[in-house]
Amino acid sequence: MTSRTRRLVVTALAVLTLTFAGVAPAMAYAPVDIVHTEHVQAGPYSVTVGFSVWPIRAMQSLDFTFLPGGGIAGKSGTLLVDGPGVKSDEHTRPLVRHPRKLDSWGLDVKSFDTAGVYRFGFAIDGPQGHGEGNLGDITILDQPGPPLALSWTVGSLPFAGLIVFLVVAWRRVRPGRLPLAV
Amino acid sequence: MDISAALPDGGRTAARTRTGTAAQAGAWTVFLGTVITTAGLSWDIQWHTEVGPDTFFTLSHLALYSGSALSGIASLVMVLLATAAQRAGRPMPRTTGGTPVRVFGGVFTAPLGYLVSGIGAASFLLYGLLDLVWHSIYGFDAVLNTPSHVALFLSITVTMIGSIIVFAAARDERWGHWGVVGSIPILITFAPIPANALKNLPLPIDPTIIGIIFFSPLLLVIGATLLRRPGSAIAIAVVLGVLQAFLWWFSPWAAETYAAAVGLPLRDGLTAQPPDLPGAMPMFLIVAAVLVEVLLHRTRRRGLDARRVVLLAGAVTGLVVAIGLPLQQILTDPTSEISGTEFALVAILGLPLGVLAGFLGGRFTTMLDALTPTSKEAR
Repeated sequence: MTSRTRRLVVTALAVLTLTFAGVAPAMAYAPVDIVHTEHVQAGPYSVTVGFSVWPIRAMQSLDFTFLPGGGIAGKSGTLLVDGPGVKSDEHTRPLVRHPRKLDSWGLDVKSFDTAGVYRFGFAIDGPQGHGEGNLGDITILDQPGPPLALSWTVGSLPFAGLIVFLVVAWRRVRPGRLPLAV
Repeated sequence: MDISAALPDGGRTAARTRTGTAAQAGAWTVFLGTVITTAGLSWDIQWHTEVGPDTFFTLSHLALYSGSALSGIASLVMVLLATAAQRAGRPMPRTTGGTPVRVFGGVFTAPLGYLVSGIGAASFLLYGLLDLVWHSIYGFDAVLNTPSHVALFLSITVTMIGSIIVFAAARDERWGHWGVVGSIPILITFAPIPANALKNLPLPIDPTIIGIIFFSPLLLVIGATLLRRPGSAIAIAVVLGVLQAFLWWFSPWAAETYAAAVGLPLRDGLTAQPPDLPGAMPMFLIVAAVLVEVLLHRTRRRGLDARRVVLLAGAVTGLVVAIGLPLQQILTDPTSEISGTEFALVAILGLPLGVLAGFLGGRFTTMLDALTPTSKEAR
């Protein structure tokens, strides 16, 4: 390798390394982009519910933000979720900070798998006491994209291939007729 | 590749170095890729649990993908080497990746193991594209049981099966023996993950648990009977334990260090729980391995029917793993709530799944013996 080539390779490697070092952390997460909001009155607290996708479709993951008036500092509460397909152990959960929008409570990359009408309930405790409220008419439309049966058929092809391989190998070897030594 | 003829004695030295450096490098590179993928997946799952948000370009994703790419490139290189050797009239020994298979009407000569691992890696690449399409439609949903994720996991599983076939073909050499001991625990860890697909069905038990109870005895039986040396089952269980301990430490460490590096906090409201992937690995496999060793020892000494013994070995392992899973959850997760019914259901499943795994394990060993005859058997 000539010194010129070596220098070129070293420069290219350095540029690649710096690019990846700079880009990888920066692209590790995307900002939360709220495109629609609804308002809920939970006792003395006015809660702004934000959605990163609107209208919502089944199986489509999105960010939900819940921001009480005056911010979340000094407040705590519980989120109640109700709707078709919500499992019994997922009905209630503490309101926690959204991991990418730390000034709000929220759910990140959360999807609901079944179309229908959902309800978000809030029970909030804070300086103005206890308050409860509901956002009861969140409609989730049918899933986008190709039918699930088609997606699962395509996704199962490696499994089908593996089974075919095992069957062909089994028929060729006939392991039941051969001795097994341990 | 075969240098044993050049050695005067053909003794232990020859046995150790019979297969060339390139063949060993190919096998261990495929294996390294599967290790990197396993660590990357464990890190990724932990990241989703502890930190949350991601894109396609998180470091854990890069690890996951580069591991599969590494295995794929190594498989391709080995297929090209085998093809070139075949054309030059000096075909590789079968200890290099197993029985050669003609591909595309003889255009390529692919050792069986590398053919399987390579197809898995190529399939992974294709399904990576489907995954991108899926995420463009549905977003980054952070669940494992989507068609594209399950296809990716199945593809990696195929690569890992290929890795076992590669080492099985060299099992009478030291590196091949240790390769089997290393690659079996990797597949024990990974094989139950595609079972996540069945989470979409209303089953009384988490299908991943069913996967663990089935694949642990299946692969332990294959490893122990394939290697035919006392201590093999224990060695496999010990390697699994070491892998579990490593991932137990590595996954939270990597997730938390990476989160700190990109300025993200950990999720609020996290409770002290065992890390996800290593927490699901069977902790008590070592108990089963000791029992299997005893069984195989008696079989060798008394000349018992090995086909029946593998059924028993599978049943014992299935039971130990099935009873051990809820036990280890109680021991490691203070917040876990396992009802008596769930405990009983899991334990009862251990017996039939273990017997089935033992039966298939014996048959698959016979198939590996026939499909990847080692140099001694091929003579």
